[in-house]
Amino acid sequence: MKVLQSWLQQYIEFSLPPDEFADKLSKLGLEFEGVERTGEEYNGFVVGKVLERTQHPNAEKLSICKVNVGTGTLQIVCGAPNVAAGQKVAVGMSGAIVPRNQHDPSGKPLPLSTVKIRGIESSGMICSEYELDLGKDADNILVLESNAKIGKPLAEYLGVADIVYDIETTPNRPDWLSHIGIAREIGAIVGRKPKLPKLKLKEAAIPVSKHLTVKVQDTQNCYRFAVRMICGLKVEPSPRWLQNALKGLNLRPVNSVVDVTNYVMMECGQPLHPFDYALLKGKQIIVRQTKRSSSFITLDGQERKLPDGVVMVCDAEREVSIAGVMGGANSEISDSTVDIVLESAYWNPSSIRRTSKLLGVSTDASQRFERGADPDGVLYGLNRAAQLIVDMAGGELLKGVIDIYPRKVKERFVPLRPERVNLVLGTKLTTVQTVRLLRLLDIVPTKRGSKRLMFRVPSYRVDITREIDLIEEVGRVYGYDKIEDKTTATVDFAHFFPKESHADHVREKVIGLGFCETITNSMQETKKAILGGATPARISNPQNREMDTLRTSLVPGLLDVVARNFNYGNNDLRLFEIGHVFSRDESERPKLVENFLEEQRLCLLMTGMVAPRHWGSPSTCVNIFDVKGKVIDLLEQNGLDKGKFISYSTSDSLVENRIALEINGTYGGYLGLVRAEVLNTFGIGQEVFVAELNLELLAPTDKSLYEPLPRFPKVKRDLGFIVDVGISAEGLQKSIKEFSSGLLQGIELFDVYQGDQLPAGKKSLAFSLELMSPDKTLTDAEIDTEVRNIVTHVQDRFNALLRSVERST
Amino acid sequence: MDSKVTQLRHQAETEIAAVTTQQQLEEFRIKFLSRKGLIASLFDALRSVKPSEKPALGRLLNELRAHTQGLYDHKAASLESVPKRRTPMDLTLPGRRSYLGSKHPLSQTLDEIKSIFVSMGFGIADGPEIEDDYHNFEALNFPPNHPARDTQDTFFLSDKNALLRTHTSPVQIRVMEKHPPPVRIIMPGRVYRNEAISSRSYCVFYQVEGLFVDRGVTFSDLKGTLVSFIKQFYGSGLKYKFRPTFFPFTEPSADIYITCFVCGGKGCKLCKQNGWLEILGCGMVDPNVFRYVGYDAEKYTGYAFGMGVDRIALLRYGIDDIRLFYENDVRFLNQF
Ligand SMILES: [Zn+2]
Repeated sequence: MKVLQSWLQQYIEFSLPPDEFADKLSKLGLEFEGVERTGEEYNGFVVGKVLERTQHPNAEKLSICKVNVGTGTLQIVCGAPNVAAGQKVAVGMSGAIVPRNQHDPSGKPLPLSTVKIRGIESSGMICSEYELDLGKDADNILVLESNAKIGKPLAEYLGVADIVYDIETTPNRPDWLSHIGIAREIGAIVGRKPKLPKLKLKEAAIPVSKHLTVKVQDTQNCYRFAVRMICGLKVEPSPRWLQNALKGLNLRPVNSVVDVTNYVMMECGQPLHPFDYALLKGKQIIVRQTKRSSSFITLDGQERKLPDGVVMVCDAEREVSIAGVMGGANSEISDSTVDIVLESAYWNPSSIRRTSKLLGVSTDASQRFERGADPDGVLYGLNRAAQLIVDMAGGELLKGVIDIYPRKVKERFVPLRPERVNLVLGTKLTTVQTVRLLRLLDIVPTKRGSKRLMFRVPSYRVDITREIDLIEEVGRVYGYDKIEDKTTATVDFAHFFPKESHADHVREKVIGLGFCETITNSMQETKKAILGGATPARISNPQNREMDTLRTSLVPGLLDVVARNFNYGNNDLRLFEIGHVFSRDESERPKLVENFLEEQRLCLLMTGMVAPRHWGSPSTCVNIFDVKGKVIDLLEQNGLDKGKFISYSTSDSLVENRIALEINGTYGGYLGLVRAEVLNTFGIGQEVFVAELNLELLAPTDKSLYEPLPRFPKVKRDLGFIVDVGISAEGLQKSIKEFSSGLLQGIELFDVYQGDQLPAGKKSLAFSLELMSPDKTLTDAEIDTEVRNIVTHVQDRFNALLRSVERST
Repeated sequence: MDSKVTQLRHQAETEIAAVTTQQQLEEFRIKFLSRKGLIASLFDALRSVKPSEKPALGRLLNELRAHTQGLYDHKAASLESVPKRRTPMDLTLPGRRSYLGSKHPLSQTLDEIKSIFVSMGFGIADGPEIEDDYHNFEALNFPPNHPARDTQDTFFLSDKNALLRTHTSPVQIRVMEKHPPPVRIIMPGRVYRNEAISSRSYCVFYQVEGLFVDRGVTFSDLKGTLVSFIKQFYGSGLKYKFRPTFFPFTEPSADIYITCFVCGGKGCKLCKQNGWLEILGCGMVDPNVFRYVGYDAEKYTGYAFGMGVDRIALLRYGIDDIRLFYENDVRFLNQF
């Protein structure tokens, strides 16, 4: 909301520098978004008096003028034919910038300095209205009123020197959308009430009811509807002061009638609408809803589709205005308008908002009505506008008001317990202090009691209906700064919530494994979002098609990150993200929000070299076993030794060489190589491996009890077997584990060989076995027996050939 | 075969005694311990013995190898301790590195915020990012058709009732629905706003919400707690101010501003020339919200607050484009 300093000062006197003014208002919750001075384009221009005019010796069309500008007398060469001694004129002094240069085809500004014109020195310029951007006449100088004060800054003379405050308002305070509303807040600061303009209406003898009837059919949405009529007026441009006021608020002056309705809205917050009476059919106004969809041309010339159920102001035959939003072109005020009907109403706020949303139009009027205008301001605004219109455009104000008020808004009384103020604010205010603070806002007690008071709330304060609303006002006017900063509320440690989520825990572990954390947008284009396989959730009002679907997997977002980094030459990446994935699901599964599933996941991604390049190590690229190894590291760090990998030869649309992970018997995610077709669509030309895991299942298990350390040394034996290539290492290892007696404490595959040294179709697998007894040091014989039994078992079970047995250290 | 092993053992013991230089030591290693050395050739011979003899002989050979290795190691150690001239090693060569992990700057900022509140006795809670109208708006006292909803720029899902949460405040409702008072928690999380993407705003961002409900919690406590947070996070010298504002779910409500730390309050581009930065919104929980979750508003009072993590991180690291957080350029990520 923009307000003008000079405008505010019509209602309340205050003389504060803008900074201090801003600070004081901000303490009441009115935040300044900007302060701007108007009329600054006239800096260096003053009112001057032409003392003497003589002919220029070297140019027939030029004259030399002596001009008194208050601070001295200047010699100015002037080319205008109308310049004469005794005139009051607008003088631009050396250093000033003329808004429009009449000798420049596009009228660019012209800085002034002392120059010689045909040999005669000239200090400044006597300006035309064109040069001052006040009119079209470029030939003659602008002659000011004869009583203009010599030396007065031109901006002040023109009434354009002002300060515009741009104030941020909140949706609960429609009363702040007017100068009087802001003046009331200033009143609370300076401790005086604003003075409202006095109304003195001169009415003609003929009553308005003779020319017009009004019917309100939609009493659900039209709370109050009032009209006046003015006959025989002449529509002309508004006087300069009114135009300046509107321009200061960035409103375009139109004509006196329209300008007054805008002015009054900005003055007291009441939106008004004028109709050309001659264009209203049947001398009637009817307020009703549209019965079927139709189209309607609004004041701005736009044709709008109206669905049924929109509240309209109509004449006897047709719709003439969208109630509370915008008038129609069919009854607009024009230069030929003679008689007008002026409407002032109070509409159901939610109905106005519905219409505004439905039509996609938001106007100054609809913004005020949907937040809640002042029900008691309807007549004040109407009368104030009627008076100003008659003052400016002439005409006769018909007698009386047609005021239909089907849903009377009652006076509001709100109770307050003074002790409650202190209970909420933490203050120690007395009842007297509380009452005094509220009085500053014109909220006055009507019933006094020691425990409970009743306050009458002004009609424009639509935000105050409950005790807490009054408490807020007390705190606001008292000043938040004066409320003590203390931390004495008791903390009940018996009731507590967790201090860390397991996402936090997992994040630390994954960073420790050398991965960079990323955070990506969860809104994606559909073709990426569906790669996760689940039915995606779609956004009905997306910003664009690239963001119209929610991710069903973290992988596509990370692939975007890979592609971006490849563009900058970073090809060795270890990335991870912890985030939510979403899907539509209409099954009976329990959900927080109907039809949608949400799951928190961890995604690991590896591509490029296994380790940073080093002169002493060979360079190799990551493969599936690097990712698998990281997943195992992570599980082990979280104490999840029950993880089980299930390798499928199949692949899905996202990955191949897919390995599923089971944690404690539940599916916990997968890992694999991203399919080349998928990588292609992201423009990635290098193998990328991913693992995507359900974060919930990665929750660390409760710390189990400490296990005593073994008292006897362990012995290692390495066994090499030659088997068919089709035999899985995991299967063989598992079989050894199951077969062995209690002596086998650990087994690990450490070498795999397949190649020239072996017959075709065979491979060699080498395992390292750890043998140990909890009770004693094992003898060589015991060890040999155990190893022999294992070897025999493997030979029998897998048709294996023993390749080697070695002691290892 | 046994005798060969014994013989080789003696030979190794005799020869090692004669070694006095690194070169002789290396010759010893090649002769006995290398892949084509004497011990290895005995292992090769192992293939041709009868299977029944293999395990025992294998053991003997392993022992021989271990013994000889021991002789070698011992000699090597004793040679090291004698001052000597050797080929100098280029110690300026680079060391062997690993990939280093990094925490996203938004996570780091969140962690700092969390740790301060956890130290003040707050726990942590979270909730879904897809929300329903009830939790995101209605129970937070945004009535249907209320202009306050316009301030939220909501993304809706194809189901009328579902939307992407516009703030972390619905977690307040979900927690209070489940837990009777007292409640003292912060709720960090990702939120969505349908705002034009620019260097100052993105359609996804992070918030931390806070809630404290108990008997006797006042606006004064709210101020004290958040001032303590501000001082711990930004430094105790900073100036701050609380100014009235409006949120549907709190009353009274306040915005908290701190002195712009770029210009020190003189006015600059960052603070829009007014010397102050808005960093937090807060207020006393509106009694209507308590009514929705079934808390007794006469018995309990509480405060709530919320802050945008992205904005705080931008200011903290002097980053001028919020989109950098979501682009994940590793050259950016590795700086944190
Ligand atoms: Zn600044």
